[in-house]
Amino acid sequence: MIRLSFGDRVMTVIIYMLLTLLAFMTFYPFWNALVISFNSGMDTALGGVTFWPRAWTLENYGIVFNDARLLNAFFISIARTAVGTATSILLTAVFAYGLSKKELMGRKFYMVLCIITMYFSGGLIPSFLLIRELGLMNSFWVFIVPSLVSVWNMIIFRTFFQGLPAGLEESAKIDGSGNWGVFFRIVIPLSGPVIATLSLFTAVYHWNDWFGPSIYISSEGLLPIQTMLKQILNSNIVSDQLAQLDSAAQGQLAKMRTVTSKSLSMATMMVATIPIVLVYPFVQKYFVKGVLIGSLKE
Amino acid sequence: MPQLTTGKPLKMKPQSKSAFVRFMKQIDIQLMVLPALLLVIVFSYIPMYGVLMAFQDYSIFKGFLASPWTGFKHFEMFFESPDFYGVMRNTIVISLLKFFIGFPAPILLALMLNEVKNMMFKRVVQTVSYLPHFMSWVIVAGLVMSMLSTDNGSVNILLEQMNFIEEPINFLSLPELFWSILVSTGVWKEIGFGSIVYLAAIAGIDPSMYEAAAMDGASRFKQIFLITLPSIMPVVIIFMILAIGNLLNAGFEDILLLAVNPVLRDVSDVIDTYVYRVGIQNSRYSYATAVGLFKAVISVGLLTMANYIARRAGSSLW
Amino acid sequence: MKRNGKRFAPVLSAFMAVALMAGCSGDGGNAGNAGGNAAASGNAEEGSGNKPASVYELGKEQLEFTLYGHYDWYTMPAWGGDITSTWIKDTKKVNVKPIHSGGAAQQKLNTMIATGDLPDAIWLERVDVEKLRSADLLVPFDDYLDKYPNLKKWLGDEGINMLRSEDGKLYQFPNWYTKQPNGNAGYVINKKIYEELGSPKLETTDDLYNYLKLVKENYPNVVPYEPHIAKDGQGIDVLYSAFKENDQKYPGMRAVPSGDKLTSIFLDPEYREAMQYISKLFREKLITQDALTQTIDQITEKVMTGRVAVFASASPTEIAMQAHAELTKNDPNAGYFMIWPIHKEGLDKNKIFPGTYGMLGWNVTVITKSAENPEAIFAFYDWLTGPEGQSALMWGPPGIYWDGVEVDGETPVFTEKYTSEASELAKLQAITTNLNWVGNTVFIDTTKAKFEETLPVEQQNWSTRYQREITWKTQSNATEFINIDPQPDSEEGIIRQQVEDIYLEARAKALFAKDDAEVLAILDQAQKDAEAAGYDKLLAFKTQKWQENLAKIGS
Repeated sequence: MIRLSFGDRVMTVIIYMLLTLLAFMTFYPFWNALVISFNSGMDTALGGVTFWPRAWTLENYGIVFNDARLLNAFFISIARTAVGTATSILLTAVFAYGLSKKELMGRKFYMVLCIITMYFSGGLIPSFLLIRELGLMNSFWVFIVPSLVSVWNMIIFRTFFQGLPAGLEESAKIDGSGNWGVFFRIVIPLSGPVIATLSLFTAVYHWNDWFGPSIYISSEGLLPIQTMLKQILNSNIVSDQLAQLDSAAQGQLAKMRTVTSKSLSMATMMVATIPIVLVYPFVQKYFVKGVLIGSLKE
Repeated sequence: MPQLTTGKPLKMKPQSKSAFVRFMKQIDIQLMVLPALLLVIVFSYIPMYGVLMAFQDYSIFKGFLASPWTGFKHFEMFFESPDFYGVMRNTIVISLLKFFIGFPAPILLALMLNEVKNMMFKRVVQTVSYLPHFMSWVIVAGLVMSMLSTDNGSVNILLEQMNFIEEPINFLSLPELFWSILVSTGVWKEIGFGSIVYLAAIAGIDPSMYEAAAMDGASRFKQIFLITLPSIMPVVIIFMILAIGNLLNAGFEDILLLAVNPVLRDVSDVIDTYVYRVGIQNSRYSYATAVGLFKAVISVGLLTMANYIARRAGSSLW
Repeated sequence: MKRNGKRFAPVLSAFMAVALMAGCSGDGGNAGNAGGNAAASGNAEEGSGNKPASVYELGKEQLEFTLYGHYDWYTMPAWGGDITSTWIKDTKKVNVKPIHSGGAAQQKLNTMIATGDLPDAIWLERVDVEKLRSADLLVPFDDYLDKYPNLKKWLGDEGINMLRSEDGKLYQFPNWYTKQPNGNAGYVINKKIYEELGSPKLETTDDLYNYLKLVKENYPNVVPYEPHIAKDGQGIDVLYSAFKENDQKYPGMRAVPSGDKLTSIFLDPEYREAMQYISKLFREKLITQDALTQTIDQITEKVMTGRVAVFASASPTEIAMQAHAELTKNDPNAGYFMIWPIHKEGLDKNKIFPGTYGMLGWNVTVITKSAENPEAIFAFYDWLTGPEGQSALMWGPPGIYWDGVEVDGETPVFTEKYTSEASELAKLQAITTNLNWVGNTVFIDTTKAKFEETLPVEQQNWSTRYQREITWKTQSNATEFINIDPQPDSEEGIIRQQVEDIYLEARAKALFAKDDAEVLAILDQAQKDAEAAGYDKLLAFKTQKWQENLAKIGS
């Protein structure tokens, strides 16, 4: 190991300090939300709840998990995220690899065709009519098929593929591999970081999408967790309807319910985000340097 | 037919060969592309007739065929609206600020993370910094508002205790501060998530390049400019092209939720918030579509320009 | 990461209008001739007596229909998920199938309209009715009104006339319609601070100003005047009412009546006076500087911790009631109380109205032509809005918290469980209130009042007390100004949008004005801008609608 110069040591110290500051600034709000989700809503309304719950309660989560349909929604979300991510990443990677080939006839045309779709879209109603014609309404496949190809991901994939050393492919071809063979035997193993990144992005998209299901799905058994949580949150917040309760009941409710819309929304946020947030640390192991060099020597 | 599909030999072939034969010879690559392209055509191009609504007085009740055609009426209304110049100015200024600050920020973070040798620390920072991406704008805006509040807001209390100010500053009501607040909130929210793709690019760099540079006596600081940055440049350029194409998307939810004070409208109203208020909320879909179409045309123009320039730098979208 | 050039969905469909016209025929024919005699039987309890064959009898056969609540926030509780709806399901054989908005109400309704897959019934804002009606998607109720007695009885002809569409027919079933004044707008005072400052007189605008100054001097960390979310009017509009006798929330309408015409709010002398007063309070930091930016959470926190001296809004009672309970826990002398509305010296304090109420209530239910049997659905809603339906939705199915009725044949007799198991009832009510789409405030309030009179004072709750003592006496009836806004995509609608933008910006800027002269300059400029946008045309439109309303009420 070469000794670090003075300048490099200063740089390292500054970097560690900045990153620590950033980590605190990005962690605290999330932590505070977590704390509030475990704190009585009425108590939170008094302010001053910061690093630790002051009036510990599971009541907020009680309301969220009270709904029996939640487990099913969880399962739907996991299935959708897994299937949607795997299929979309595979198809988009193949697509991008094809488009990265300079000799591909119509390459420029194909690219322009794709890029246009990033800026022009016909809007909701034509899409809705199309989905209905294709028989995808109220079907699990409406989560998967329309988002199979992501132009954005394709562009990123392609950029990475183009950066791969050309020599690798040449040598594989001399060994008699076709383009598909090269793709699966050389390109995929070399693309760990980008596949991990785009899988993460795609998984986040699938996990977070609540709008699609609320338009295309009417059977409750197919609703994913995000849409379900929105419903749970909405049906528990104080609405104009609740203002019409008779005053005796209002007084009673005020006494028993310590849940506020804020405390409940923090709890739903935690339930909705923690599963997907936990994916990232797992994905990070594919970011280790030297993947490329290892394969080269193989 | 695999032996025919490498790049260079093909170019040397005489052009006289019929396109069909050439196509069949590279059918394996074409088969990588065409199925996905079919999906793009089905799910993006078939519904695209919806944009024609911009030239109609579309009524959801009459439908596409029965709604009257109006030519460029909605475009004219937008261009002639008294708000047009203000809205365009804010859109461009906010976009450029986000571009010059929000675009490099994740790259900087990725470069800094790359210098961290303690894996545990690196992973913790990586994971933690991407958390805000998962908080909805409603929650983030609520947070910003309570922090910047004049009644007990933590920022004002801090500034007062440090004797920087005597009276609380009404941060969210001062037009001159709004852009800074907006842009920094955006950076805070997306910096971690945005850095992931650059980290992936950095992970692809051959470590022996650093070793060689170190042998030559390049400091760690210099290595960033000699090796890391050039290596991830193709990815940076592609993202820059796409970001330039997105310059008219100055923001929507963030502005809607942070610029609640109407005195800020002169500096906060951008195309998307304007269209939301004037078009969507009033069911004027044709108007909204027309403005959207205007944006798309400009965006594609910007993208083409950026791509043209980038091609000279060696990477391009097409 | 996915980004489309156009964020918002434009919308289209062919054939739907045609498709919708078909498939809906039918019920008008036989209904007409049966109308008269059914009305005579006029009793809420169905199934009694010999009704004409064409009257739909609830509970005789299975009725199933779909209901869509057109709100992002609305998620209908599962039908049959509580004892009340289970009881309705079992005894009345009604099954309501929810269609959820899923948080995207506008897009959801658009897709349903565009594809012709309309739900049988829609629960929505009154303003949204007219466009559905003019597209001929709704079923008129006129033929049913006389056959089913409750709506006619409880809403009355005046209310029915007010709800009629341009073609003279009734298409909407109102929710929380009423005849008595209601509403909570007014001023809440922090008791402890008030008493510590010597309980000064707090009746006129000068009193208020002096009091707020006193608070500011003695309690630097307390917000003297908390106007709730000021960009929605709230405590700012409440202050306007101090300067204008018989205010009917004119700032909210962006128009002021003058004779039989509606005129510009910016030129209204009282509005200009009020804005100068408000601006002065804001300038001297007597109103929270966060007034235009704060969230509900921030407001709640301040009120709950007793850090406001005066709290005024369109409905301060909800937060104040909670806060009162919280503060009196430790200190019985703390808490909040309400005062009679502030007035400007020289005005009649009995003509000061900080809030308004509308006899037509809040929102409505419509039945679409997709419904197979719209008359049956109407019959169900009519039952639901009647005494039996309302009693069930408020106090559960008969036999638990109430059993049987008083001699008047409608007021429920509460059982012992009503008080002994009050918390169970409250839990039930919190669910079933979201099933009460056709709330009948006339009936419920009368019943509530009758019962609460029997309660000792300490059991009456905070908000009920002040509602009875103050707020219900100080809300004006603004029914005549209902539905005077143009359709948003019409020419006047576009003007309305522009005037709205001008108004909001002017009011905010006036708050931040350096002095009174600047306030007036801002209002003058706003008047000029509004005129340029076509304010006069909008005012003419609103005037016409208002006059039509007056005619309907009179008729």
